[in-house]
Amino acid sequence: MSEAIISVRALDKRFPGVHALKAMDFDLSPGELHCIVGENGAGKSTFIKLLSGALKPDSGSITVKGARYLEITPHLARELGISTIYQENILAPNMTVAENVFLGRERTRGGVFVEYARSRGEAQAVIDGLGIPLRAEAMVERLSPTEQQFVKIVRALSSQPAVLILDEPTAMFDLTEAERLLKLVNDIRSQGIGIVYISHHLEEIVRIADAITVLRDGVVVARHESGQRVTPTQLALEMVGRPVASVSRTERPFKPGEVILRVRELRRTPGSQPISFDLHRGEILGIAGMVGTGRTEIVRAMFGVDPRAGGSVRREDKGLEIRNPTEAITAGLGFLTEDRQRTGLAVSLSVAHNVSVAGLDRLGRVFLNLARERRLVQSLVDRLSVKTPSLGQEVRFLSGGNQQKVVLAKWLFKDVDILVIDEPTHGIDVSTKAEIHRWMREFVAGGKAILMVSSEMPEVIALSDRVIVIRGGAVAATLSGDEISEERLILSSVGRAGQEE
Amino acid sequence: MSERPEGRGGLATVMQRIGRSQAAVIAVVIVVLSAAIAAVNPVFISLTNLFAILLQSSVTAIATMCMVLLMVSGGLDFSIGSIISLSCVVMAKLIGAGYGAALTALIGIAIATACGLINGLIVAKSRCPPIIITLGMLYVYHGLALNVAEGKFLSLGGKFELLGSSRLWLIPVPVLIAVAVALLTWTLLIYVKYGRRLVAIGGNEDAAFLAGINIDFHKITAYTLNGLIAGLAALVLVSRLGSVISTVGADYALRALSAAVIGGVSFQGGKGTVGGAILGVILLGVVYNAMNILGISSYYQSIVLGAIVVAAVVFSNLGALRMRR
Repeated sequence: MSEAIISVRALDKRFPGVHALKAMDFDLSPGELHCIVGENGAGKSTFIKLLSGALKPDSGSITVKGARYLEITPHLARELGISTIYQENILAPNMTVAENVFLGRERTRGGVFVEYARSRGEAQAVIDGLGIPLRAEAMVERLSPTEQQFVKIVRALSSQPAVLILDEPTAMFDLTEAERLLKLVNDIRSQGIGIVYISHHLEEIVRIADAITVLRDGVVVARHESGQRVTPTQLALEMVGRPVASVSRTERPFKPGEVILRVRELRRTPGSQPISFDLHRGEILGIAGMVGTGRTEIVRAMFGVDPRAGGSVRREDKGLEIRNPTEAITAGLGFLTEDRQRTGLAVSLSVAHNVSVAGLDRLGRVFLNLARERRLVQSLVDRLSVKTPSLGQEVRFLSGGNQQKVVLAKWLFKDVDILVIDEPTHGIDVSTKAEIHRWMREFVAGGKAILMVSSEMPEVIALSDRVIVIRGGAVAATLSGDEISEERLILSSVGRAGQEE
Repeated sequence: MSERPEGRGGLATVMQRIGRSQAAVIAVVIVVLSAAIAAVNPVFISLTNLFAILLQSSVTAIATMCMVLLMVSGGLDFSIGSIISLSCVVMAKLIGAGYGAALTALIGIAIATACGLINGLIVAKSRCPPIIITLGMLYVYHGLALNVAEGKFLSLGGKFELLGSSRLWLIPVPVLIAVAVALLTWTLLIYVKYGRRLVAIGGNEDAAFLAGINIDFHKITAYTLNGLIAGLAALVLVSRLGSVISTVGADYALRALSAAVIGGVSFQGGKGTVGGAILGVILLGVVYNAMNILGISSYYQSIVLGAIVVAAVVFSNLGALRMRR
């Protein structure tokens, strides 16, 4: 293999409370496709952000084309020809493909007047060179997700990069779309560009990769060079790595109560897979799966936040249909969303206002009994030990963990029977995390039920009585009791469990 | 992973205190300003003049309650000036046609309420920014008022004079109406479930929706209430004038918005108090009055008022500005 285009040595990065990347070594040659795999939070994104200049390393070095750098800035990354395509959409939907391709590097006459014809021509040349059916003058908002992904790639390639970094480019794609993209990536590799490729799809990785680096908890745990044969199962086991026993799964006999919520043939769009499951009293039902497989979308559709194409959600014991949030709340459901700041809280309002908002009916028919509100909110604040100087404190001044407790308190104030919790402890410190976990167990112990979406395997394993694994928007497996292990979860998430049973 | 460092707590509390005390700052400014004006011209603090200030402020005060109600719930209505004008010219026209004062007043208020309902329906159902929708409706209602008035001065025949000039316990009736509207708005926002839900929508519409609050219902009714209050403002306005033209209320939208903003009502919704907004109204009233007493050219008045609005907004944003660093 030729001289390395990028050599990373002992790269290290910490965030408050997390050692995200520990002394990482990594090499990439021209024309090499190097895949990085790992669980959610293993450090993959941190690594590519360090390469692209979005983050600054704490220590270590990055050598690009023979020159050694202690830190890469976005500007330097551009000069060095390191081009990154992130998962999030970074296109301007109201502009054409060509305009997006040259955004920030507009083709101009005299540095002032944009030359539309020239940029269209140059963009089309890159597109045709890749053999993609795409018109440079098309508006981006009219394109399919795959085509938009192509535009990002065209944009990255139009700057003639030496290195292309792809962060889960096929995450949202179905099989045929993914095939198109993989073929394209193959073509790019043959042009001599080095590619760093991140994906959860282990099958596609073992097929296309020249080299594979496996990350776990910020550490490189395995490397597979070209020529070595490796199976998806082997990769999955390396990703899990840590002895399964290290995850504490509290021993408890699972005795499901009556069905409290029945979900049947739920579809978000006419084309999406139907989802069916039951939620029982006394149960925490976990929804697991890789990021971007549609877990959040399923619970949102279930709660009636987003419109659905079909299916029914029913509070079984009360015989209530749930079609929108108002009906969901009437039926005794509460929803803790993934993004508490954006959809869970009014951060400029007080703790008291946020806690009582869903249950104002408890405070009177027309007029509010403010003394009663203070008393009830105070007792919840005490029970959940929310750290706040007063009930009048604006929620934005609380820490993430305390904000999450305020959202919990909101649904306790409403006195719900069923809680839907999307990422219960996202971005929350360890001790608060333990408190919230303990509280969740207490909640269901009284005959209530929780439906929990979580990206953190240990959390899913420790808390769930049963787990539904989602893959490609459909239920791939249902696990209960002893079946709930990290290995089984990973294997079902990446799509091997079925064949091996 | 993005835990807020605990050390910020101290700074945060200070910022919050400043944010909360905007009303207190305005109150201090009013007192100091009044003392200064009185030192130059003692006429300013005569009882007659103080009542004159309140009387002159009464329509603005009522219109400001429209703004508070909407802004707190994340809305806005630029068209209330036109709504007030339309209501006024219709009332004048009815008086001219021989209708009685009571029926005229009812119809005038009903028309303003209907305008509010229309605004609410469009804003809630289209989900478009209220600033644009109500800007458009401003022209629509203005056009209607022009058609009704046909460019003429319409006399009110002194039918509402009693309302505008009489006093109850020494206090002019228009001032009493303004106080009543302010108290009702205050009660609504603090003690009534409906008002609390408006505040929740203004704080975070998505969160309110997920908490089971019927967003459309609350938006539509808030704009309708806003129209009703604008109708009351129109009634008080005609009671103080002998005749009206089609642009009689035009100033009040911006004046009310200015008073609300000076008093600390936030454009982002969820924040603002009736007390603060009333202080904003009084500050504007004092400044207008003082400039007249001190003989400052009306050409300068606009500049001074604009500067006050800008200063108040910059001041209220200081906290947020510092938080960002």
